[in-house]
Amino acid sequence: MASNYDDILQKLNEHLKQFCPPEIEITPDTDLINQLAIDSVKLLNLVMEIEDEFDISVPLNALADVQTVHELANLIHQIKSAQ
Amino acid sequence: MTSTINLEGKTLSSTIAKLNAPLPQAFNPRLSSESDLSITPTPTYNTQVQRLADFETLTAALEYAASGIAGYNFYDAKGNLRSVLSYDALRQNARISAQRLTGLGLARGERVAIIADTSPEFVELFFACRYAGLIPYAMPVPVNLGSHAVYVQQLRGMLEAGQASAAIANADYVGFLREAAEGSQLLRWFGTPEQLGDFSVSDMALQSNDPDEIAYLQFTSGSTRLPRGVVITERALMSNLQGIVRHGLEIRSGDRCASWLPFYHDMGLVGMVMAPMVAQVSVDYLATRDFAIRPLQWLRLISRNRATVAFSQPFGLKLCTLRVRDSDLEDLDLSSWRAAGVGAEMIRPDTLRNFAEKFAPAGFDARAFLPCYGLAESTLAVTFSQIGEGFDSLRVDAGTLVDKKMAVRLQAEGRKFSEFVNCGRPLPGHTVKVVDDAGLELPDLRVGSVLVQGSSIMTGYYNNPEDTEKTLKPGNWLDTGDLGFVFESDLYVTGRRTDVIIVNGRNIRAQDIEELAEQQPEVRTREASAFGITDANDITTIVLVIECRLTSVTDRQSLTGRLQRLVYMAFGVNCLVELVPPHTLPRTSSGKLSRFAARQGFIQRTSLADPLSAESGDK
Repeated sequence: MASNYDDILQKLNEHLKQFCPPEIEITPDTDLINQLAIDSVKLLNLVMEIEDEFDISVPLNALADVQTVHELANLIHQIKSAQ
Repeated sequence: MTSTINLEGKTLSSTIAKLNAPLPQAFNPRLSSESDLSITPTPTYNTQVQRLADFETLTAALEYAASGIAGYNFYDAKGNLRSVLSYDALRQNARISAQRLTGLGLARGERVAIIADTSPEFVELFFACRYAGLIPYAMPVPVNLGSHAVYVQQLRGMLEAGQASAAIANADYVGFLREAAEGSQLLRWFGTPEQLGDFSVSDMALQSNDPDEIAYLQFTSGSTRLPRGVVITERALMSNLQGIVRHGLEIRSGDRCASWLPFYHDMGLVGMVMAPMVAQVSVDYLATRDFAIRPLQWLRLISRNRATVAFSQPFGLKLCTLRVRDSDLEDLDLSSWRAAGVGAEMIRPDTLRNFAEKFAPAGFDARAFLPCYGLAESTLAVTFSQIGEGFDSLRVDAGTLVDKKMAVRLQAEGRKFSEFVNCGRPLPGHTVKVVDDAGLELPDLRVGSVLVQGSSIMTGYYNNPEDTEKTLKPGNWLDTGDLGFVFESDLYVTGRRTDVIIVNGRNIRAQDIEELAEQQPEVRTREASAFGITDANDITTIVLVIECRLTSVTDRQSLTGRLQRLVYMAFGVNCLVELVPPHTLPRTSSGKLSRFAARQGFIQRTSLADPLSAESGDK
């Protein structure tokens, strides 16, 4: 189950592509709200995909501190490491 | 064996759950934490004589329910039963916690704020407050990306508005609570349920409650600056509950509820926590978050436990229709579901039709649809349609509706129409009327403001006489803020007045969005106007128009981006920001902005070709 941060980031990017306008390239600094426009409904889909992909449960309180791709990847990494 | 109950929330309830575990499995360590076999949900059929909410107070109702075997059951995201809280256990635990709360030095009538995730602890604490004569109120959990700061602000606003003396949150949320509590003058204690459990149990006798005392406060908006707590007395509560279980749902033996509704919303708390208990009915809960991510789990719960009563906002039904795969339908049997309550926001007939069509193969009977209308200011429910008859709707001419505020039944095919769902008739002891702008009652089929009078109406907003006076009109008529018409004694809701925007099932006050904008240095007071635009696909977008003096493209982009981010963090929705030159926004003679006119202006400027017709519900 050794998932390192880079693997997570790469897999996460695959899931984020669906939200990504063609002119934007996803980087760790990409803002999920402003640049990818992930509203609450899209977020639910994304969380479901993340939970299925990484076999984790994402707590809502943790999402309150997530704004960028890096922060989301980091959160997934932390949850996985704690398993 | 202790590992079988991997309860995230810990404390009292897990003990109860362990006690309920049947012994044979206790000796089989292989049935580990993944399994729900070790505990069994409370049964559907009770051992006691069913009494339908004929109690004077909430605790009196619980005292009775505790002599039976029904109760609350909490399921996790995978559909495993995580903990069981029988009404008997609830009574015991709540009484103990009540004595701890009293031991904190809290006096009757003081307020206790509780962050309400879907957990046994919340329910125990809520009832503990009532046993101690304290006034509980539920606060929401954070749901949006990056919402930390805004959420803390919301909590602070609610702590202040309710003048809470104590506040409780579980370990996941207590950090937010700590931040919100900083500098609070009134708050004397805050902590987790575990920390409360460390206090000794006082030996003070618990007094019974009076029907005229306040039962709880219900906050209705996530406003960061001015949240309002609806004051509901025991009498109003019991009156509404009686109406719901007897008249609205016709609760009977064999009923069982299943709910994902948040405990911090009136429909979740009054409708799916209190109403089942006062009728000694068992409930199966799924956390809102788990429903939102996997709506199928709710339907599975209904199917597996043969639930008969389950409520949802239309938005929740939409999520089910959108997200449940056809291949999942094979395992579902929804034929037990006799009351599919729908309320809390405008109901579109198509939402119901699509749901019925999707789930008919799984045994869903469209006659189960039970549209109803209500609001926290009237405890919960105002009107119910006739149970068991499905939904009924009326098609009216769209043009006449806008031009003359009249609902004229569609005469010929081909004309543009608006279709409204029949929300039924008021509960006994309640009256609904529709009035014009001058407050005069309108005849059938004329659209106006919906007013309600009756035994479930709030006393007012807590410590807020100004808003109370605006909302409770002479004769104790509650101005609901909704628009609608009456036809043959049935209520049809056509929309909200322009001061509330409903997006994805959530009520957002236009004023709250404008205030966010006005907090920006570039935006002056009264130079921001927010409203909703609904397109033909029933998607509502929030539009924020700002009068702006900035000329540089970078500055303008910076403001637009910041506003979108702020609105998102506060409300979890995207918004369209339009910057316009000063003096573009229309004002009333008193200098106030007119949102209605601002919206019209926006539509003209963007020349959206017939973007919404009358169906937006605006005047």
